[in-house]
Amino acid sequence: MVQLNLPANSKVEKGQYYKDKTGSKNIRKVNVYRWDPSTNENPRLDTYEVDMDNCSSKVLDILNKIKNEIDPSIAYRRSCAHGVCGSCAMNMNGKNGLACTKSHSELNGDIDIYPLPHLKVLKDLIGDLSTLYKQYESVEPWLKTSKVNDKENIQTKEDRAKLDGLYECIMCACCSTSCPSYWWNGEKYLGPAVLLQAYRWIIDSRDEDRKERLKKVADELKLYRCHTILNCTNACPKGLNPAKAIAEIKKMLATA
Amino acid sequence: MENKNPISPHIQIYNWHISSLVSISHRITGIINFFTITLIGIWIASLLLGEQSYQNINLFLSSFLGKFFCLGIIWSFSFQMLSEIRHLFMDLGYGFEQKTTKITGLIVLIGSFPLTIITFIIGRVLI
Repeated sequence: MVQLNLPANSKVEKGQYYKDKTGSKNIRKVNVYRWDPSTNENPRLDTYEVDMDNCSSKVLDILNKIKNEIDPSIAYRRSCAHGVCGSCAMNMNGKNGLACTKSHSELNGDIDIYPLPHLKVLKDLIGDLSTLYKQYESVEPWLKTSKVNDKENIQTKEDRAKLDGLYECIMCACCSTSCPSYWWNGEKYLGPAVLLQAYRWIIDSRDEDRKERLKKVADELKLYRCHTILNCTNACPKGLNPAKAIAEIKKMLATA
Repeated sequence: MENKNPISPHIQIYNWHISSLVSISHRITGIINFFTITLIGIWIASLLLGEQSYQNINLFLSSFLGKFFCLGIIWSFSFQMLSEIRHLFMDLGYGFEQKTTKITGLIVLIGSFPLTIITFIIGRVLI
């Protein structure tokens, strides 16, 4: 259902203000979405004054600085810090991305940091992605083949090239949570991340289940809720193109 | 058990891109066009009631407000047409590169205005 307004318990309130204590002249205001599951309070937007003279270049460095030096209670996911694991996906100044690869010099003005949009919040910047993982499981993202070889399962160079732009996906969910269709129909519509993965297995020359796979996604809600809004492609921190992958699935279905 | 956790902000905080603007406008103009065609149908049907009823609507459309109304409708159709052409190419799998979507989106957004004026002028000359 399209629900433009946030429900009463999700309205973001004004939060605390953490004044700079270092006496730095190079201050940047960072607004961070906070929600504590142990209280009954609404989410709030806390503001931190961060000393930018002693902060490395990425948004994740700002968060680490806040956690280490200002407010240890802040919660967010992070792991590799090199754009490989996809843990630190969040919304920065109105656009989804990975905090570890996003330079804060690219962002204008005060920095607003929110969790990935339209998810159930677990705590602070951590959203609940379990629906997405279930949907990922539903496309059976593994190779299905009857070959039982001791040797490698060989592909031609051309067939292998078809997987470029697909296998690089790290499932950070930046694309799916940027998609308005996924916001309104997230329970049924598979969303760009999962559909890109579905296409990755459909197009794999070694996979013998193409017909079944196509049949499974050919659904008014699962696939055709994509209206090429293209927020996904704009958001992808790895420069992939989920919208094109979805279009290719639609094309395969139309021409099959 | 019902999940009482809050929902993170979405449309309230997400930036608009050219492609998302074109997409939502495509929908809105689509709805406008649906009603417009119905109205034009009613207008044509009203001819059956005689010249007077035709003249009533004609009078309205010749007024300042009517002309504004006409321009709005023409814009809505122009936008829909250009955007639909963009969609046709996308359905064939072309034009998904970020730069291309931006350029084609701008062509649709900006191009709909000159197309409106051209259509309006052609209509004036012909009628």
